[in-house]
Amino acid sequence: MLTVRNLVTGAALACAITLTTGTALADPYEKYRGTEIVVSWPSLAHFKIAEELIPEFTAETGISVETDPLQYGKLRDKQLLEMGKAVGDYDVVSWVVFWKTEYVQKGLLTPLSQMFANPALVDPNYDIGDITPAYLENGGMVGGPQGYLDGPSAGLYGIPFSAQTTMLAYRKDLLEKHSISVPETYDELLAASKLLNEKEGIGGLTGRAQSGHQANDFFLTHYGPTGGSLIDDNYRPIINNPKAVKTVEMLAEFVKVGPVGMTSYGYGEMVNSFVQGDAAFYLDASKIRKTVEDESKSRIKGKVGYALHPTIDGNCGSGTGGFAMGIPANSKNQEAAFLFIQWMTNKATDMKLAEMGGDPIRTSTMNNADLQAKYEDYPVLVKQLECARADWRPLIPEYPEIDAQIIGIAVSEAITGTKTAQQAMDEANAKTEALLTEKGYYAWQ
Amino acid sequence: MAIRKSTLLENLTAYGFMGPALIVLVLGLVYPLATTVHMAFLDWSMGTPWDTKEFVGLKWFEKLTTDPSVWKSFWVTLKFGFWVVLIEMILGTFLALVLERPIRGAAIFRTAFILPLMISPVVVGLIWRYLFDARAGMLNYYLGKIGIEPILWLADPDIALISLIIADIWQWTPFIFIILLAGLQAIPSDVVEASRIDGATWWQQTIMIKLPMIKSVLIVALLMRIVDVYKVVEVVFIMTEGGPGLETELLALHVYKVAFNSQNLGYASAVSMLLLAIVTLLCLVVLKFSNPLKQKSDF
Repeated sequence: MLTVRNLVTGAALACAITLTTGTALADPYEKYRGTEIVVSWPSLAHFKIAEELIPEFTAETGISVETDPLQYGKLRDKQLLEMGKAVGDYDVVSWVVFWKTEYVQKGLLTPLSQMFANPALVDPNYDIGDITPAYLENGGMVGGPQGYLDGPSAGLYGIPFSAQTTMLAYRKDLLEKHSISVPETYDELLAASKLLNEKEGIGGLTGRAQSGHQANDFFLTHYGPTGGSLIDDNYRPIINNPKAVKTVEMLAEFVKVGPVGMTSYGYGEMVNSFVQGDAAFYLDASKIRKTVEDESKSRIKGKVGYALHPTIDGNCGSGTGGFAMGIPANSKNQEAAFLFIQWMTNKATDMKLAEMGGDPIRTSTMNNADLQAKYEDYPVLVKQLECARADWRPLIPEYPEIDAQIIGIAVSEAITGTKTAQQAMDEANAKTEALLTEKGYYAWQ
Repeated sequence: MAIRKSTLLENLTAYGFMGPALIVLVLGLVYPLATTVHMAFLDWSMGTPWDTKEFVGLKWFEKLTTDPSVWKSFWVTLKFGFWVVLIEMILGTFLALVLERPIRGAAIFRTAFILPLMISPVVVGLIWRYLFDARAGMLNYYLGKIGIEPILWLADPDIALISLIIADIWQWTPFIFIILLAGLQAIPSDVVEASRIDGATWWQQTIMIKLPMIKSVLIVALLMRIVDVYKVVEVVFIMTEGGPGLETELLALHVYKVAFNSQNLGYASAVSMLLLAIVTLLCLVVLKFSNPLKQKSDF
């Protein structure tokens, strides 16, 4: 009967039905509410900041997250063990970029294309093109040319998270005092280092020359702008090429005017030598600004300027590195894991992370006017990324061994004078060729 | 007194009591050792299924004989082991002799000298890394105050191993010290008294009476140190990671790097076999000289 009471009841019922079905249609996380995922990532500053956002993620999606942070050197062993099992405990793994090829070659990761092919999972506002291409290629692409670059045969296996390039940080107060302009080329940098070492009695350029992985990163940072490579298109090592030997000799020059004990510095000691005022220049991972402004560690807050990585013969080429996140093939919660990765790397979260002091991966975040005003290195970062080399390191599966056991040792021997640069690099080349031969790289040649 | 042969029941009881210890020994020692030996003949990379392992025969042992970094490690370890054991034995013995007498404050000294032994090797590594830091470490700071240029304790290829030796001596001399102290205090006092009455000086008492009487304790301490020295990984890993170059790359650290950096567990197992062979050889040499198990009691 068409009474007012019936009409109101009818309307209320209609609203209720629309609202419930309406909400159900708009909840992409419905199927995954109540899932628990486990994330393996390093215990570094950016990830600690990301952890603070996890409760927000859980509130929005209903997916609870347990993190297993480890010192980043130990991650690989743990992850390999977990991912090698029939069913693993990790649903998301974060890798140092140079482990990506090994992980994919061993079949341990789920290709992200599998997730992106599922419209129910993909956030229409994700805008993957906004993620810095150099970072995406460096951290997540595997299977292209030489196995680690982008190309028609490459697949996406991870999204960068806490990625970095290299940048110059300098003591503007000291440069002003001695009327030195900001170095744009390596020749200028070396000259400025020598001058400041002589006049101020502090180190010029600092660096991390500790034998092993550190020394290799130190070498590659300054080899990058030469445009040279370490292996050719046929995977033959060219470690002892003239540009590389020249770079090692140049490193020895920097060490002579560097801070005391530079040849045993790890990353931490290098940063400390700069922020405690014992070196005038820093040329390494781009996330240095955070430590410079941390007054509990730094004595030089407000005295630092940021500039592009210097060039060699007009050539620019900064490093690329850091971490990326992906999904182990043996995880039981692949879709929930993907939703986590997608959420942590979407525009809104990337912006929040940057505001909280984390490392941005998106061009939109780095171009944001407020952040550029707040963080004086952002404008430099945006410009630098145009010149970042995705092939800065040859990320073949054997790279970890070549890095720490071969080149890292050779560079250390050369700069401490145990061997000449040519001799050390010749030996490194021979060892690498023997290693790659043993691993079957020349099966087709 | 005639010794009667034990009955079957007594024998079985004896084996029964040894049983649990034997099981632990097999599980904790024999099984891992057997697995390592097995691994040394295989090529398997972590993260790949176990059935993809390849039998490669003596490939890793052949590689071992020509690998320059293994031999460099070998020499570095021998050098390190020689100096460390020599200095620790001398220093430890000296400290034990001086502090076994009831002099004033001996108890305090004894406690203080034992402390380094209680600290975890990782922490020891960190302490010495910070002390030896060329730029900001305490050692160079105080040396600077008396006008000495900063020494590159961990960065100079000629000095890095010495720094490592210093850290190890600091940590392990207390070990020798405690063992020898216990040994010295177990010497019956009448023998020493008798020698004193006969007119022996402190030096003569020490060299001719006390030390020979604790010979088996000295040998045991020596053996334990030799075995331990070849296992040093944490301190060197934290202090220098084997650098500069390969100047402080102890063999155990090299095994670790080959296993986990290069992910080559087969080769790492082969190198550990080399390590095992060296340690066994050294122990056999020492035991040939004097075997505490075969001797009658010293007193």
